[in-house]
Amino acid sequence: MPIRLCRIDDRLIHGQVVLGWARALGIGDIVLVDDDVAASGWEQDLYRMAVPPELKVEFVDVAQGRRRLPEWESGPMAVLILTGKIETMSRLLADVPHPPPVNLGGIHHRDGRTERLPYVYLTDEELAELRRLESAGVAVSAEDVPGAGAVSLEGLA
Amino acid sequence: MKGKGRALVRLLAVQGAWSYERMTGVGMGFAAEPLLRALESDEPEHHREATARAAEFFNCHPYLAGLALGASARAEYEGVPGAQIRRLRTALCSPLGALGDQFFWAGLVPIMMSLALVGVALGAGAVGLATVVIGYNVARLLVTRWALWTGLETGMQVGTAISASWLPRAAARIAAPAGLVAGLAVPVVGAWLLSPVAGPRLAVTLLAAGATLALVRWGGARWTSLRVGLVFALVVLLWTRFAP
Repeated sequence: MPIRLCRIDDRLIHGQVVLGWARALGIGDIVLVDDDVAASGWEQDLYRMAVPPELKVEFVDVAQGRRRLPEWESGPMAVLILTGKIETMSRLLADVPHPPPVNLGGIHHRDGRTERLPYVYLTDEELAELRRLESAGVAVSAEDVPGAGAVSLEGLA
Repeated sequence: MKGKGRALVRLLAVQGAWSYERMTGVGMGFAAEPLLRALESDEPEHHREATARAAEFFNCHPYLAGLALGASARAEYEGVPGAQIRRLRTALCSPLGALGDQFFWAGLVPIMMSLALVGVALGAGAVGLATVVIGYNVARLLVTRWALWTGLETGMQVGTAISASWLPRAAARIAAPAGLVAGLAVPVVGAWLLSPVAGPRLAVTLLAAGATLALVRWGGARWTSLRVGLVFALVVLLWTRFAP
């Protein structure tokens, strides 16, 4: 089964991911790619509490994630990959042949960021980073919940 | 810690300044202010930083926000580094959102609403409604208080305290009784709604049920359960008003 979606959401695992996307896409395995969380047992315990027992959840750092991408692509379960930062996603997908689509799900207000959509705030550098991802062959769009309608990068400029 | 009572009262309005930019963050900062006030005289710089941190982006179930509020306030007094407290707040959004949604929105609320509907159908009237509204709010207050107190007692260990508490078990178990009560309420309320009308009640009921099933099955993502429910309610309302 392929990696169905790569989502960037600074809330990491939460309702829109577990109830929204995981159900809509028939996901069996949620992979949280984050160097800090991969090294922190108590954070993993908290995130696990938010996931129903029928869903598998894994915590890996970027290096492990890059190594295991082919395994997830050919594994038995549909996989949803989740990162909290744009930068983590671009490191994960750098130079990957046939990269899965990237979904911007929740990137919230911080100093320097401006509102692009109610749930997407970006600095100009972050938008440029996303454009680089897109020109490297990654399909990038924003959509908070399934069926809400995908917004292309052009719509965020 | 001082200011617990005031923080509790302010927590009741944690969504009062909700925005896409910070969600409940501003409400959390407002509720944290009485808890953090004692830092002001001794460590004014830390106090400023802690208050600003408390008002950063936050999003979880409003009734459980006290767990994060109390835990981060305690961590501030214990001198936990700011970056660590930020990560605690971020990580708490997930379980506090998921557990709260399961327990309240998909559990206690449907149970109480079904009881209210059955009460009205069986003639309990305003007394029945008042009992349900008061009962629900007592439960909400008790949970809010438990959440804040538990957070304040446990600080950075709040995750362990949550998983050992009643909350995960209750959240996992409440779905079945909620389904049972709502399922029992449907025929009782349906019979009551249709009772003033003469005519083919069974046929109308079956037609409405069939239309609902068809909309949910083939109507696509546009037909959420809320929209289907509203259409269903409208059909019943028009039927009871205008049927011969």
